[in-house]
Amino acid sequence: MTDAPMVDAPMVDALAIRDMSAGYGEAIVLRNLSLRVPRTDIVAVLGKNGMGKSTLLKSIMGYLPKATGAIALDGHDVTQVPPHRMARRGVSYIAQEKALFQDLTVEENIRLALARGSDRAAAMATVERCFPFLLKRLRQQAGTLSGGEQKMLLVARALAVRARLLLIDEITEGLQPSVVTTLAQVIRDERARFGTTILLIEQNIGFALEVADRYAVLDRGEIVDGGPTAGATARVAGYLSV
Amino acid sequence: MISQLLDIVTSAAILYAIAVGLLLVFGVLKIINFAHGGLMTLGGYAALVTTQFGLNPWLAIPAAALVGAVVGMVIERVVVRPLYVRPLDAILATWGLGIIIGQLITIGFGRGVQFVQSPLSGTLEILGEGYSQYRLVLVLIAAALGLALSLLLHGTRLGLDTRAVIMNEDLARGLGINSTLVRFITFAIGSGLAAVAGALITPLSSVDPNMGVPWLVNAFMLVLVSGASLVSLLVACLVLGGAQVLISSLVSPVLGGITIAVLAAIILRVRPAGFARG
Repeated sequence: MTDAPMVDAPMVDALAIRDMSAGYGEAIVLRNLSLRVPRTDIVAVLGKNGMGKSTLLKSIMGYLPKATGAIALDGHDVTQVPPHRMARRGVSYIAQEKALFQDLTVEENIRLALARGSDRAAAMATVERCFPFLLKRLRQQAGTLSGGEQKMLLVARALAVRARLLLIDEITEGLQPSVVTTLAQVIRDERARFGTTILLIEQNIGFALEVADRYAVLDRGEIVDGGPTAGATARVAGYLSV
Repeated sequence: MISQLLDIVTSAAILYAIAVGLLLVFGVLKIINFAHGGLMTLGGYAALVTTQFGLNPWLAIPAAALVGAVVGMVIERVVVRPLYVRPLDAILATWGLGIIIGQLITIGFGRGVQFVQSPLSGTLEILGEGYSQYRLVLVLIAAALGLALSLLLHGTRLGLDTRAVIMNEDLARGLGINSTLVRFITFAIGSGLAAVAGALITPLSSVDPNMGVPWLVNAFMLVLVSGASLVSLLVACLVLGGAQVLISSLVSPVLGGITIAVLAAIILRVRPAGFARG
């Protein structure tokens, strides 16, 4: 607990959450949660189903109101900022479900994430570097891609906007190991190249601990453990075992 | 036979022009704008004022578009936006607004029926039969409206944003799209289209404070069977509008008046998605 990536810090973090309680209407899911994500770090939040992992990302992104607490992005308060402004501030969110416009083309899905006047060529260069096959499928409907390809498109879209903070919700769910390996490689490479800060939610311990620098365990809406990922596999597995 | 065929095509075009603005608003805001009939009436009176000032009757179309769009902006900002999270209340509010618009027009112009000069008179000979030139031009105008809207939706960034909001508003917001602005612009365009439709139909009938109300019911049913697709709206207008023309001319005008509503109800019972995919 003492080494958890949370609570006060003298330096300005990419993301700092302080004493946040949030949920759905009267149902509070997250309770007085504090978490900090230093710049350029990858932090994995792990936990069983129903512990509030997705709620955490939705709350950060501005989809859910906060009952208490505050969220700061690079030191600026964004507690009440709506999702479209969070995106414009450089936060990319990959939701677990319904994260693509199935009836739009691959190209349209990518273009939607780009702000007006942004460098489209640079965005497409990122897509080509990460997942070259997508450039040959630009005019294909996103819904006709395989499950793994759709996940790659999601990551490509998020990386194409050169996000300051990337929020990823269970990207590996239902994917073949080879696709998981590819995603892990791309995420690590892009972080190394651009210093993107990443907060990812996972149940796949192997993927999470391989990709992330630090972890936090979420249990019943509270962070109960955290620290560097190196050598933490057995400790984390203990929290996630039934 | 030719005359009946042209009646079907021109009736479908008129219905399309009337319903397309309603469809756009329904697609983006997920509410049926029951003020649509009132906005049509505003367009009719914009046409009346235009011709009363002695201006070219064709100017009634841009005048109506302007009046409708501006009034639509005010309605969206003042009435509809605060009710986004209460869609049923938003629908009821637009219904009330339709009544208010009708009453305000009555105060300003009186209850009486008035007539607007047609921008185009006379008939055109087609395969030996004379047919109203104005009704034929309406087909071109309706096609132009549909084409322009299609280009807007599929050829511009605003259109892409709008389609994204129609498909999944939460996801669109997460990608940086200001859905509130998209809703505002959409409502203004939809209201402008309603007023244009009102201006277009006035030379065919007359202008009175409730002229939009009878059209609203048919437009509402057409939108329900069309989903949020311009193409399926066109199909719905041709099929249901065609049926209305045939029943009116071959059976009874009274039955023709309820044809669209009855057929739409049957279609939705058999196939809830109507003419839309899925």
